[in-house]
Amino acid sequence: MAKQPSINTNDTKTLKRLRELASNVVEAAAKKRDPHVDIPTRSLSNVKYNKTRRFIEMGSNTNRRQLFNLSQAKSYMQTMLVASGATQLIEQGKTTSIRGLYYLLKHTIEGTKEETFADQGECDPVIEDCEVLLNSLREELHLYAQKRGEMVGEIVIADSGDEIDCARMGSGGYGIPSIVEPSVIEFRKCNAKFILHVEKDTVWQRFNEDKFWRKHKCILTHGSGQPPRGVRRMLHRLHNELKLPVYCLLDNDPWGYYIYSVIKQGSINLAYESQRMAIPDAKFLGLRSKDFKECQLSDSVKINLNDTDRKRAKQIMGYPWFAHKKEWQKEIKLLLDNGFKLEVEALISKDISYVTEQYTPARLKAKDWLD
Amino acid sequence: MAASSPSPVEIIPPPSSNGSSRHSAEGNGSPSKARRRATAQSMAAGQRDISVSEFFAKNRHLLGFDNPRKALLTTVKEAVDNALDACEEAGILPEIWVHIQRVGQDRYKVGVQDNGPGIVKKQIPLIFGKLLYGSKFHRMRMSRGQQGIGISAAGMHGLLTTGKPVKIISKVSKREPAHYYEIQIDTKRNVPEILNGRGEGVEVPPNHEGQKAIQKHGIEWIELDHGTRVTIELEARYQRGRGSVDEYLEQTAIANPHVAIHYTDPDDNSRDYQRVTDQLPPEPKEIKPHPYGVELGRLVTMLNDAKEPTIAQFLIGSFSRVSPSIARKLCETIKITTRANPKKIGRHEADLLYQAIQKTKIPAPSTDCIAPIGEELILKGLRQVVPGEFYAAATRPPAVYRGNPFQIEVGLCWGGVSPAQRVSREGLSEMLEESDARTLRQFLITTFQGLGADAADKILAAANVGIRVSPGRLKAAEIDHLHEALQNVNVSEGQSMNVFRYANRVPLQFQAGACAITQTVMQTNWRAYGLSQSRGSLPSGPITLMIHMASVWVPFTNESKEAVACYPEIQKELRLALQAVGRKLGMFLRRRLRVRHEGERRNLFLRYIGEVATAVSRINQADRKKLYDQLMEVAKKRTAEADVELDDRGKPIEEDAVDFGEHVIIVSHEEQKTAETAKNGTA
Ligand SMILES: Nc1ncnc2c1ncn2[C@@H]1O[C@H](COP(=O)(O)OP(=O)(O)OP(=O)(O)O)[C@@H](O)[C@H]1O
Ligand SMILES: [Mg+2]
Repeated sequence: MAKQPSINTNDTKTLKRLRELASNVVEAAAKKRDPHVDIPTRSLSNVKYNKTRRFIEMGSNTNRRQLFNLSQAKSYMQTMLVASGATQLIEQGKTTSIRGLYYLLKHTIEGTKEETFADQGECDPVIEDCEVLLNSLREELHLYAQKRGEMVGEIVIADSGDEIDCARMGSGGYGIPSIVEPSVIEFRKCNAKFILHVEKDTVWQRFNEDKFWRKHKCILTHGSGQPPRGVRRMLHRLHNELKLPVYCLLDNDPWGYYIYSVIKQGSINLAYESQRMAIPDAKFLGLRSKDFKECQLSDSVKINLNDTDRKRAKQIMGYPWFAHKKEWQKEIKLLLDNGFKLEVEALISKDISYVTEQYTPARLKAKDWLD
Repeated sequence: MAASSPSPVEIIPPPSSNGSSRHSAEGNGSPSKARRRATAQSMAAGQRDISVSEFFAKNRHLLGFDNPRKALLTTVKEAVDNALDACEEAGILPEIWVHIQRVGQDRYKVGVQDNGPGIVKKQIPLIFGKLLYGSKFHRMRMSRGQQGIGISAAGMHGLLTTGKPVKIISKVSKREPAHYYEIQIDTKRNVPEILNGRGEGVEVPPNHEGQKAIQKHGIEWIELDHGTRVTIELEARYQRGRGSVDEYLEQTAIANPHVAIHYTDPDDNSRDYQRVTDQLPPEPKEIKPHPYGVELGRLVTMLNDAKEPTIAQFLIGSFSRVSPSIARKLCETIKITTRANPKKIGRHEADLLYQAIQKTKIPAPSTDCIAPIGEELILKGLRQVVPGEFYAAATRPPAVYRGNPFQIEVGLCWGGVSPAQRVSREGLSEMLEESDARTLRQFLITTFQGLGADAADKILAAANVGIRVSPGRLKAAEIDHLHEALQNVNVSEGQSMNVFRYANRVPLQFQAGACAITQTVMQTNWRAYGLSQSRGSLPSGPITLMIHMASVWVPFTNESKEAVACYPEIQKELRLALQAVGRKLGMFLRRRLRVRHEGERRNLFLRYIGEVATAVSRINQADRKKLYDQLMEVAKKRTAEADVELDDRGKPIEEDAVDFGEHVIIVSHEEQKTAETAKNGTA
């Protein structure tokens, strides 16, 4: 992140919103009224599935947060602190991680023994609140999340001006930063025809070691489980700007389904970012509930479903974007009927490179995926 | 009495020349015949009058003289109870002087004076020198004394342990001179002997001359128009804390707000309990016994003593609530004529009559024979003696157990400082010296009302002195630390409820566990009223309960009159009274919690306003100070409103809407402080 972001038009827009927020407080105080903010609700109750755009959108519900309310006073104060922290960052042309911001704002409240933020877990949701409140993206507040997720494959990019050939990343891969906006990341040259996104690092290693991406002319990514925003935004840009289809290889369990759902439709928590993150055309390559039989896996790879798994599976079955898809209903029902789940690594029990040499190529060739 | 002191039987010569007590007769029996049973003849030789001293020696635990400390308490108590009874019966507002002096190692002189009617000369010897002589045993009327043993037993204990007679001054009117008597019980014959004035006592000349004469006898007399002073010297031990004279007087003051007590203890500290009302309790009416309350044995005696010519007249005349038609019905049930002579009723018929009574419906006795303290005065009395924040009282309507009318009342005080916090540095070191507790921990628990083991441990930890240290061995610096810890350690959580029990206004200080009152308190669910309580024990918290049972006949578990027996009717009334004050306490504690929340809430806002002002001024360069002040104003306005915000169920709470009903006092903090300083000032 060597590049010094100057106060550009985007920043001016964000600063304007921040100052509006502040002057609302001054105004309320002058009129002897309760200062408050109305924060768009970030929960399932306030998301809608937009059938035409095929992703989750945020509804119009808001939650009022007041300074003079016993249960809200502290989070109100924290909201203002985050806003002032973001203002500082923008004015100084600096960015920091959400952890950095937490440390920037954490101190003991004067005359008490109380900390402004007890831990980072208390700060993170307030940052998300500020994003929706200010209708600004995290990057626009000059914040980034801890990066997790890597990429390798037939593409050359420029990161803050440095050219990076993703085909020459050795065994490690290119760490996808949390801010991948065009101002930071440019696509220079691309030979890839598709993107294979896998759930976690271990599987990704397998594919990288077998140089799957070279053989099949693709980009290989992972997001350490639920992919962070940087990864999702990167996939989104690659998909939209370079017209690369996205195939996901995830575990055969409710969590795998959920990750797919987030990549495809957007997340409930960050529904306001769906527009720039969701990839409605992403395909679910596997693992599938039928694979245990089809691939003739041994009993030892089965992991029994527990109660939460079953509950989650049923919940996902009911998501409006899955509810009308017969194939998906069948898939999840089969998972429940099986009574067990499978990790992608289960395929290794057949052969170390079964997943890279047989399973994935075969599925791609047969176009055997779920949509 | 300590085991080392000679047994009373040894001092007083045995009543008959040949025999000793039945007990020793057996002991003297020939050893060779030890296995043989006694014959009727040998038994007859041992059958005789029991001397009073023997009776006393055997029963001293029942009479409250089982140890030197308790002997002191019992002596004071018998004298004070009598004084109060006498004053009230004569319609005089009681004023009592209690003076305890140390006259030697383990020897004390107790003087108790009242402003009562005095005692006519010819009665004096009988009252103070004869066991089982009194005016209260034979009547059904509420009074403190019942048996006619009290003061003469105290006198006898004094005589037996010190050899000194009971000294009495009594004055019956302004016109007549006071009389001075020295009385000694003749333990052989259970008859009193007046030792001075050739068996006549002496007149006390008025004024200066009289005072001099009195001084010569080693006693005191506060000049009054009428009254009685009893002075008893006895072997005893003085120790403050639980079960002490001090506690007895304090508790007496609570339940008798019409009484003024002037108390001087052996260390010459004096404490005055002012009266808080000039209203004497209404005079309790004497009633005849109710048939339900009469046991078979008593019924037989009454039949034998009957003066009425017919059984019907006897029943109507001797019992309350027996109408001619009820009497007829009883006679019909046992198939005897209404004209039968009661004296001729045989044992079998008496038994049938007894059973018929239990099965026949007889109206409950009238209840105007009981004089409760009343809520107003309970509140005043409690407040005078126990400092606190919240007081509530409830007097139940009269009820009946086994034909005996009774009435339960309860006063409750919450908050304030515990006795442990109130003790002065000097008081503490005196108490430490007096204590016979083996360890400091034991000292704390036994000395201070309501201080439990947990609290004691906390205090000792804070004082940084060992648990097992003997209380007498503490160095001055250690006493300083302990005193500081007593004042500063918050023991209100570890504190268990103080329960002051009363029967006919007399404090019951012992056998708490056996008492229906304590048991009912423990069975009550205090958690419902916001206190913490583990199942089947007293709740904890800074609470004092005073519970009074008023009755023409209080059912004690035994002769020592220290625990009320469990009758379901009594326990029910106790429960209802406890619930009545409990509910009020619950309301108060809930409100208090809410008020505290409001305070916290205000603080919370104030705390965050600074942060908000700083953050906002950083964003838009607004004037931080101005913004802060403005927000502060809003906060004040908002929390003022917040005081009447919503309660748990979302209903608006109005401050005045908390309706405690009647008989409640809430003391503000300012009032508490001034009361405290006032008290310290006089002390
Ligand atoms: N201070 C006093 N002034 C006037 N009369 C008194 C006084 N003390 C005692 N008496 C009379 O002497 C009687 C005997 O007193 P005593 O204490 O021996 O028995 P009691 O009070 O009747 O019963 P109890 O044994 O329960 O105390 C009393 O009933 C009362 O009539
Ligand atoms: Mg008496």
